[in-house]
Parts: sequence; structure tokens; C-alpha cells
Amino acid sequence: MPGDRLDPQKIAQRAAQEIRPGEAAAIGTGIAAGISRAVPPGSGAWLLAESGAIGYRPATESALVDASGAPAEIIPGGVVVGTVDTAAMLSGGHAGVAFVEAAQVSARGDFVHWTTAETLSLAAPGFAVDMASGARRLVAVMTHAHDGGISRIHQQCSLPVDGVGCVSLIVTDIAVIGITESGLELLEVAAGWSADDVAAMTEAPLAVSGNLREMTFDVPKLPWPGKVYDSADEAVADIPDGAVVNVDGFGGPGGMAHYLMVALRDHGAKGLTMISNTAGIAQVARFGAPEGVTPIDHTILVENSQIGHAIATYPVSPSINRPSAFERAFLSGESTLEVSPQGTLAERLRSGGAGVGAFYTPTGVGTLLGEGKEQREINGRSYVLEQRILADFCIIRGHKADTLGNMVYKGTSRNFNPVMATAARTTIVEVDEIVQPGELDPEAIVTPGVFVNRIVKRPEGFSPYL
Amino acid sequence: MSTASGSNLNKVRDSAEAALSGLDDGALLLVGGYAGHHEPETLLQGVVDSGVGDLTVICPGGGPSLSRLVEAGLVRKLISSLPFNPREDSPVKRAWESRQLELEAQPTGVLAERIRAGGAGLGGVFLPTGAGTRFAEGQETREIDGREHVFQPAIRADFALLRASVADTLGNLIYSGTGRNWNPIMAMSARITVAEVDEIREPGGIDPEVVITPAIFVQRIFQRAS
Repeated sequence: MPGDRLDPQKIAQRAAQEIRPGEAAAIGTGIAAGISRAVPPGSGAWLLAESGAIGYRPATESALVDASGAPAEIIPGGVVVGTVDTAAMLSGGHAGVAFVEAAQVSARGDFVHWTTAETLSLAAPGFAVDMASGARRLVAVMTHAHDGGISRIHQQCSLPVDGVGCVSLIVTDIAVIGITESGLELLEVAAGWSADDVAAMTEAPLAVSGNLREMTFDVPKLPWPGKVYDSADEAVADIPDGAVVNVDGFGGPGGMAHYLMVALRDHGAKGLTMISNTAGIAQVARFGAPEGVTPIDHTILVENSQIGHAIATYPVSPSINRPSAFERAFLSGESTLEVSPQGTLAERLRSGGAGVGAFYTPTGVGTLLGEGKEQREINGRSYVLEQRILADFCIIRGHKADTLGNMVYKGTSRNFNPVMATAARTTIVEVDEIVQPGELDPEAIVTPGVFVNRIVKRPEGFSPYL
Repeated sequence: MSTASGSNLNKVRDSAEAALSGLDDGALLLVGGYAGHHEPETLLQGVVDSGVGDLTVICPGGGPSLSRLVEAGLVRKLISSLPFNPREDSPVKRAWESRQLELEAQPTGVLAERIRAGGAGLGGVFLPTGAGTRFAEGQETREIDGREHVFQPAIRADFALLRASVADTLGNLIYSGTGRNWNPIMAMSARITVAEVDEIREPGGIDPEVVITPAIFVQRIFQRAS
């Protein structure tokens, strides 16, 4: 006779073991909601709720709620955002794992969300489709079978699915099952259950792991990964030749990552694609710099022959008599250039960060900047199709960061940074001050730490001039 | 009314009725809120009192106040990612089951990006969300970077009814906790955005670095009774 079936909170506890240090873990409704109660206080990961919470834990009374509408509070180092931001975080691939309560899962990883199954003629998915589409790993939590014993795990789902081939692990009230290329693999069983017992309740072929174990329910307290680097040189040391790099800055000298720019110049990686607003004009425009000094901006990378290609909105000098270093590099054939209108560049970067593949914008229609691009009429207006930008690295300046990478800016230092930070695989930030998690107001953080990989403190008194 | 200005630029309205002026039958309405929390309750009651009908409402987070609109029969169609909790009885569920209300379900992120696209002046976006499922049926798809994406047209509405914690008299808004929910994108995407707020301050009364919704997106402000 098999053992007991686990209660929903036990399922949540086992599932919570799947969260890795420092990642964003999207938490759904139903059984999945219990994961927030299973994670030990102070654990180093962000629980993500579509209600607009990055890093929350249960609370008794609060202006904040979790995905299910239950009271929640922001953890030290958490952030309050809007629903669109949580969706973009998922779609852009910034969440490591997501947990959904499934009503059905197939042997190839298709799933049906519980809300879809329980609103059949409507099939309302809530946030489940976003979680399935966006998270790098999708864990389905569920009861293994209906009360009558009919399996919820099938060769093929019988209901309309909310995601195709996206579930990587199933945690049920009797077992843990992995989904591989070749189908289902039984990894763990609940106490008192054998592999044969589980197979008898599963309507799809079930391979048994050679390492079959009994399910456990301890949830480890995770360490936050260290993101603070001692120097800018160390933080940029692995940027390879040919990398695509977002580099911040509006005009100058305010709000530029001068310390990181100098480090990138000294590092010397060549053939870079630089994405930026200007391609370096501070040395010709001066922006109020005193006589006899050389302002640091993108120009130092151009003059060091590191920029093979630029995508920029304002890549020329304001004066025809004083061409910028980039204009000279372009005219000599050393660098190539793609000009993008300013708002279009910002939207392309946001799209890269938010998982938007491409978008139709009216900007540039009928101009040189619209030439060669797909054009479409939508509701009587003409639009051109623009592609997203996703960089390998990003170097930007903030004002303050906590050690988890949550950031606030000051004045124009915000410029392109919030979108650039989201649109790179590795985002490196330079800040005036590094504080502890909880010291920044979670309602006022502009760039959530989820997007930030490395932090360096700008040395006090670091000059914006060479 | 707290401000002396009698010009057209004065955004502060002293009643829900005044704040909803111009809302007509058949309008498309964006309504903020999350899981019944942070609803613009007074404005929604104002819609009920106004008697306008045949409304299409996009409200992914409706609660008791939205339900009153539905119960009054003013809503023709409700668009949401999960319009009711399937495990609980509710007026929206009953109205839908008795065919008094048309419902349309879309994934949360798709709805959010469509509303944001409308506010940002885009015609539409290609998203990977829901590719290969019923949410892509009948829609244009294309492969981008080796992944199937679905075309999602932008949404723009006639009115957005929001709730915020603090406004200044120009309409700059901040929220509290989940009060942020859908509001920042909805504010961008309506011809007339009305914010129901707990407190109204003079310009300068909110730190400019922490304003979430810039005033340019807000046409009318209404202070709810405390």
C-alpha cells in the first residue's frame, strides 16, 4: 500500500529547493503560492510576483500583495515595480525559474495551467503563459492525479495548452519527475511510494533514474552571490574582442561611466560594436569643460581604435569645423555606423531587455532613417519595423547601488541607463556609493538588481577629465 | 477644489462626475487594480451613477468596484488575463456564465505590452509569449532570432481610470506597493487619464527622481474621501 499523498505546502517546499542563489524566481498562484512560505527568511534570491514585487515574503497586512492577492512585504534588497515590468523581466529571460500549478503536463513538457482548466470555455491563463514563455526553467507543481485516480500527467495534454515543451521538472504530491528529450524520468518518490506505484498513476512512459531518491523538504538558505568588484579593470577584464557593448552617456560630462570607460580603454578589446547616444562628442563640444583638459567619453575608445561599428543617434560633432574622433574614424573606414533615431534606439534597447522581437514605430517613416525597412499601415498610420538590440556587455553609471545591484540615479545620469541595463547579458555599473540591501527605498529604485551583474565604486574624486 | 487656477490647465476635479465628464456609451476603458486591491473605487462608482453602458473594459485586476459595473449591466465586454478566481463565486463569474458578459482572456504580459505599446506610440510588437498555443491562433507570426514571435497590436483607450497614492496638482503620480500594478502603462495609453488619489500636493511636493507617472500623461485628478 503506497504512503500518504503530500499536502500542497509540502509540494511547495520540495519545489522551493529548485531556486538557485541570486536568481529571480517567478511564483505563480495556487500551490505555487506556498513557495514564498517555504523559503527561509534572508535567503539569497528574489521571489517575483506579477503584482509588481521583486523580492517579497509573506506579511500580515500591507499595501503590497503577492500574485494571489495575499499580503506581502518587500525583503531588504527587493523592489516594487509595475506588472508590465515583471512581465518584461520574464519575457526578456531575466528570471531563472518559474513555478506554476499545472492541471496537466505532457511527456514533452507541454502544460495546462490550473486556471485554464477551471475556466474551460474561456481558458484564462493569468500570468502562466508569460512564465512558461520567459523563464529559463519551468517547474510544474501539481497533484499527480485527480481524486478518482486519473492521472494529470499524460503522453499528450487533452486540454488547450498554455506552453509548448517548456516544463523541465514536475513536483507532485507523490514524486519528482524530470522531463528530458526522451520523455519522463522519475527522480524522487514520496515516503512509502515505489517507482511502480508512481508509474501506475502516470499515463505516460516513465523511466526510472538510477539515482532514485526519497523526496526531502528542507529548503536551504541561499547565499547572495557577490557582485562588488574591487576595480573597474577587474570588472571589464573579460570583455572580448568583437563584443557588443552598451555605453551610457547623454552629452557630458554628467552621468557617464568615466571610470569604466577608462578601464575599457586600458583593457584594449578591439572590434567592439558600441551602442550609445553620441559616439563621443565631449572633446569637441566641450560641455563647459575647463581649458586645457580632455573630457573622458566614448572618444577615448574611438581614438584607441577599439570601435569597429557604432549604433548611435548623434554620432557627429555639433561643429562641421571640428569633426569628432568618430567622424574621422568613419570617414577613414576604420568604423562603420548605423544611425538610429533617439527614441527608436531607446525602444530597441527596451525591446532587447523585455523580450520584444521587433516593433512598429512611426518614427522615421518617409525619411532616410526609414529606408529599407519594412513599412506597414496600422489604423491609417504608417510605421516602420525596427529590430531589438541585445548587447553582450553594458557599462553604465549610477548614483547609488546596494550590494545586490539595485540602483538609483541622479539627474541626467539616468538617461539611457535603465533600458541599457536590461539589454545586455552582463551589466557592469559604476556608482558613487555602495550601500547595504534595504538602504534604498524599494519604491524608488530605478534599476532592479536582477539586471546588474557587477558593481564597482567610482573612486572618490575620480576626474571626468584625462 | 484646492487650486485657484481657473484655466483649462487645472486638472483637479472635485467630484467623480466631473472627473468622468465626456465618458460615453461604447467607450473603451482601462481600469487599474490588482486582485481587487487598489481599485479606483470612487471613479468606478461614478461610472455606475452616470449610467453609461455598452462599455468595453480592460481590467486585469478587478474587484468589488468593477463588479458593481458588471452587475449594473454597463459592461459589454471585459478583457483580462484572469477575469475571476475560478474557485470562488463572484459577480463577474455569474454574469459570464449567464451570458450577460463577454469575456476575453489574454496572457498578462501580452496585455501589458499591448497597452504599453499604445502609450509609447508603437503600432504593435512581436512577442514570443504564447507562440504555439491558442493565443497565437489566427495571428501573424514570424521567426526572429530563431524563435517564433506573435504580432500583438497596440491598444489605446478612451479613458483610463487609475488609483494612485499621491498626485501633485499638475498630475505627477506616485503609488504605494501593489498600487503601482497596471497604472503606469494605462496612464500612457488613454485619451483621458483620470487618477483617483489619496492626497494632492503642490508641484514640488513629490521628489522628481521618484515620480512614477509624469503629469503629461494625466488629464484629471480626483481626491477620494479619506
